[in-house]
Amino acid sequence: MSKDIAFSHMVVEVSDLDKSEKFYRDVIGLDLLGHNMVADNRPNALLAMNTRQRLLLVEVPKVPPYPASGGSIHHGWLLTIDQFAQARDRLEAAGYASGIDPRQTFRAVGEYNMDIIDPDGNRFQIQAFGEEATDILPSGAGVVSCGNIADHAVGDVVRNGKGRFFLSRNEDGYLAISAWCTHKNGVTVWQKESWHFYCPFHGAKYDCTGTYFGRMGCAPMRLHPVDIDEAGNISVDTNRFFARSKHDPAHVVPAKPGAKFSTAGLELVKAAVPATTSSEG
Amino acid sequence: MAYVESLSHSGICVHDLKEAESFYCGVLGAAVHSRVNFKTQDALRGRSVHTSLMLSDYLFAIMLSEDWMNIPPLDQLRGENRIRHAFCVPKDKFAQILQSLRNHKVALEGPVTHPETGPFGESIYFRDPTGNFLEVVWRRDESASYNEVLPLGHGGVG
Repeated sequence: MSKDIAFSHMVVEVSDLDKSEKFYRDVIGLDLLGHNMVADNRPNALLAMNTRQRLLLVEVPKVPPYPASGGSIHHGWLLTIDQFAQARDRLEAAGYASGIDPRQTFRAVGEYNMDIIDPDGNRFQIQAFGEEATDILPSGAGVVSCGNIADHAVGDVVRNGKGRFFLSRNEDGYLAISAWCTHKNGVTVWQKESWHFYCPFHGAKYDCTGTYFGRMGCAPMRLHPVDIDEAGNISVDTNRFFARSKHDPAHVVPAKPGAKFSTAGLELVKAAVPATTSSEG
Repeated sequence: MAYVESLSHSGICVHDLKEAESFYCGVLGAAVHSRVNFKTQDALRGRSVHTSLMLSDYLFAIMLSEDWMNIPPLDQLRGENRIRHAFCVPKDKFAQILQSLRNHKVALEGPVTHPETGPFGESIYFRDPTGNFLEVVWRRDESASYNEVLPLGHGGVG
C-alpha cells in the first residue's frame, strides 16, 4: 500500500477558526484556499503549502486536552533555508521570539529548528537543513599523532576529540574514521557496549569499520589516511577525507612499521573550509 | 506562494509500540526507519524512546504515552482528537486500498464524497489501534503540478 500513497493533509481541530486561520496564514505562512471545501458540517478552512500538502482547520466546541505527558506530541514543518529565515522574522514580529529552539546547540550542524505552539496548544516544529548539514567539516587539527602500534589492542576504538575522528584497531590493522555522521553532520560517539558508532542526533548507527547499518541509507563513515612510520608511530591526516561506498579491508592499514594507507577505490572529498597543518594530537 | 513547503513528520503517542508498528507497517505498508534511544542509558537520561516509521513521504515517530491518553469512543471512526493525518492515493487505486483495509479487518467510515469545489474527491476514515485518527483520500487535483516534497532531513525526532 505504501508505494501508492503520499501524505495529503493534516486536519487540526481549533476552538476559534478565525484566530487559527490568521495564525496559520500570517505566522506560519500558509496560503488560504477557501472555506467549507470538504464534506464536513463544522466550519472549516483549507490552507496550502507549496507542495500538494494541505492543512484543514475545523472548528470544534472544545479541543480535547493533551495527556499530561503529551509533550512529545508534535508535528514538523520542513522549510527551505530561505523560508526558515523568513519564518524566524515572522515569528519574532508576531511575538514568538521565545519559540526559537533552546536546544539548537544540541542539533546536528546545519539543522535549524524553532518550536511554536498554535492557539490551541498544538506544538509544531519548524525545521530546515542548510548546505552545511552535508558539508565536509575539517577539524583543523591537521596531522595528529596517535601513539605507537604497541599501545593498541585488537578491538580498541580510541576517540580523538580535537581531530574529530576515531582510531579503530581491528584484527587487520587500523582505520581512522571521521566522527562526522554521513547522514547529516552530527558527531558520532562510540558505544563500546554495543560495538557500534552512534549518532545521537538522528539515530544512525555504524559498525566498527564505519559501515552503516539500518534503514536510513547512509554512506559509510569517511576515512582519514593513517600512516605508520618505521618505529611504529601512528599519525592520522585529518586534512584529507576519503568517501567510500562500502568497507574494503584494503583500506585498513596493517599494524606494522612502515604501513601506508591505500587510497585505491576511494574518493578524496573536498572540505568546506581550508584545513590547517598543525600536528598537535 | 506559501512560505512553507511541507509537513515532514509527527510525533504521536501510542499505548503499545509493537502493536502500533504492526499496524502501520503491516496494514498501511510503512517501514521502520530507526529505533531511537532504546538503550537503557538513553532512557535514563530522559531521552525520548521512539520508533520512527516512514509511511511513504511522511515520518511518524511513535512514542509511548506515560499516562493514559484521552481516547475517543471505540465506535468513532472519523474524528481528530486534535489531529488527523490524511494520505492520498491515486483515484484508480482507491477501491483497491479500501479493499486492502477491509481485508485487514480495519473498521472504516465512508467513502464520503467531498464538494467538487475542493481538492478532495472521496475519503475513508479509520483509526490506529491507539485511537489516532487517519484518513485515505483520492484527490481531484492529483494531476496538478506542485513543488516536490523536500527530502526528509532526519531519521529521528529531536
